[in-house]
Amino acid sequence: MGTVESLLLGFSVALQPDVLWYAFLGCLVGTVVGVLPGIGPLSGISILLPATFGLDTTKSVVMLAGIYYGSQYGGSTTAILMRIPGEASSVMTCIDGYAMAQKGRAGAALCIAAVGSWVAGTFGVLMLTLIAPPLAAFALRFGPPEYTALLVLGLIFLAYMSSTSLPRTLLMACLGLLLGTIGIDSMTGHFRYSFDIAELGDGIGIVPVAVGLFGLGEILATPSANVVRDVIAPKLAQLLPNIDEWREAAMPIARGSILGFLVGLTPGSAHIISSFLSYGVERRLAKHPEEFGKGAVAGVAGPESANNAASTGAFVPMLALGLPTGPITAVLLAALMIHGVPPGPTLVNEHPDVFWGFVASMYVGNLMLLALNLPLVGVFVNVLRIPYAYLYPLVIMFCIIGVYEVNHSIVDVWIMLIMGLAGYLLRKFGLDPAPLVLGLVISPTLEMSLRQSLIMSNGNWTIFFQRGIALALLALCFALLALAALSLRRGRKDWRSRLAEAEAGDCAVE
Amino acid sequence: MIRADHAVGGALAALGLLVLALSGDLPIGTLSFPGAGMMPKLLASLLVVFGLLIAVRARESAPLADVSWQDLPHAMRVAAVTGVAIAFYQTLGFVVTMGLLLFVLIFGIERRHPVPAAAFSAGVVALTYVLFSIALKTPLEPGLLGF
Repeated sequence: MGTVESLLLGFSVALQPDVLWYAFLGCLVGTVVGVLPGIGPLSGISILLPATFGLDTTKSVVMLAGIYYGSQYGGSTTAILMRIPGEASSVMTCIDGYAMAQKGRAGAALCIAAVGSWVAGTFGVLMLTLIAPPLAAFALRFGPPEYTALLVLGLIFLAYMSSTSLPRTLLMACLGLLLGTIGIDSMTGHFRYSFDIAELGDGIGIVPVAVGLFGLGEILATPSANVVRDVIAPKLAQLLPNIDEWREAAMPIARGSILGFLVGLTPGSAHIISSFLSYGVERRLAKHPEEFGKGAVAGVAGPESANNAASTGAFVPMLALGLPTGPITAVLLAALMIHGVPPGPTLVNEHPDVFWGFVASMYVGNLMLLALNLPLVGVFVNVLRIPYAYLYPLVIMFCIIGVYEVNHSIVDVWIMLIMGLAGYLLRKFGLDPAPLVLGLVISPTLEMSLRQSLIMSNGNWTIFFQRGIALALLALCFALLALAALSLRRGRKDWRSRLAEAEAGDCAVE
Repeated sequence: MIRADHAVGGALAALGLLVLALSGDLPIGTLSFPGAGMMPKLLASLLVVFGLLIAVRARESAPLADVSWQDLPHAMRVAAVTGVAIAFYQTLGFVVTMGLLLFVLIFGIERRHPVPAAAFSAGVVALTYVLFSIALKTPLEPGLLGF
């Protein structure tokens, strides 16, 4: 079946009224999640995961993915109207978006952000449609050594791209991998670190860890007294940008879409990194860079397009290879597995309705989000008026329900609380919890493929260097490590150091 | 001067050593047939290495005394209330536990007026119960009272 026929099959699934409804629900929840500071897409997806148990695979994945890319749209609203990033990826939009709002151009900034997001999101899905199936076909050649090399490359790439230091990221990834070894060893049946707790025999779930670290951890680190909200109400009559603003936005949207999609393919917090990179690129290419920080249209159009394209790009390795590039795609993979659909290269051929239905739903979802985020912006602004003292108890309640309902296990909820406290401490000491979640997710696959590789080669570890694909992937690992070591040796600030500084508050990415 | 990364690196290296100590009975196996202990021991060793590396390079981090703990009492209160709610969740069920959790957090911790706090807690719990049980067909924990 060709791409066009497959896509038509996808649309026949995605345009069913009930699938459309769940896509809309996901987009709506995603927008609200994006609008609200402190609740990320990961918490939103994790919390709503149990609510999808009664649905079929396509509907549940369509809804959960809608939350993810919907949150990228919603994040800009808070950034532009309050100078608070609803999402980490909206940090750069805060600068020029809020400056535009102060100049009375809030409506135009919101419109440019929404249209840029739509263009980038649709471009991303188009690329996903073209790239994912051939990549999946290529990945069918992968055996255990290739998967081992690919997973190691993923971790090293994540560490290299991270704005914190390489050892800190690898340390967190090791901790996640170690947590992933808890439970019964699937090859020998040994119990590992389960301390006679029956529930730990199945290992530690992704959901309690992710919700604890990102949901509860964020709440514990945010005292309600510190949350002060001053919302600029947009004038809906002024939603349309003028011709000059459209002209200034056009190229940044195009560049942001391409850059964001490419960055989205790589492991790590791609949607965050892409918006920082896009801001830096636009500033460098601008005829009047001094306007950045004072309401430059390109400072809104570029980053907002980039973060949306990146969130779509992240679906390529997830769908084609069954590999998560970050904690959000990891939870989406968990959702597929919970519904009995094994993710990986065989997904396209064995479950074409799920794969193509999901892809087609994203075309529709992006249109829905455009419709949601422009006329209804006033409604979403009202959500921001809920006092934080009322909002965070609500989130804690949903965290508990979300985690408990996955396995009806109270041990999982205790794990979430412990992880919440751990997340609080990690934030205090500047450690990023994302590599930990990624390590936890890939741990069983990495261990299994490593051991299978050694068994099939009768203990000959050079098997990783004897197979072309594995060798190429490992060569890339060494190259990245060498680059990181070189930058460390020179003691010079590279783009990653500048990104870290910008994330810490100084937003001058050049 | 003790720096933040001394504490972080030291604590995580100690965790790695603890895991190694706890892994005593897990067989490493051989290269041709790796045992259940190979991966955990390898990772625990890496944890020790990276922990020590961070501790060694700690001079780049802030002094430990500069880490602000102002929000700790609030965080501990919220965590304690959440812990109590988790402990009673299966016994008291969703409606009672979550109603109390919301009320205690809003009225007890955040010092908001009790009437709106109670109305918000009751309304949210009722709405969530209906949403999950009826709309999403995912029944929530019933508890001793049967709902």
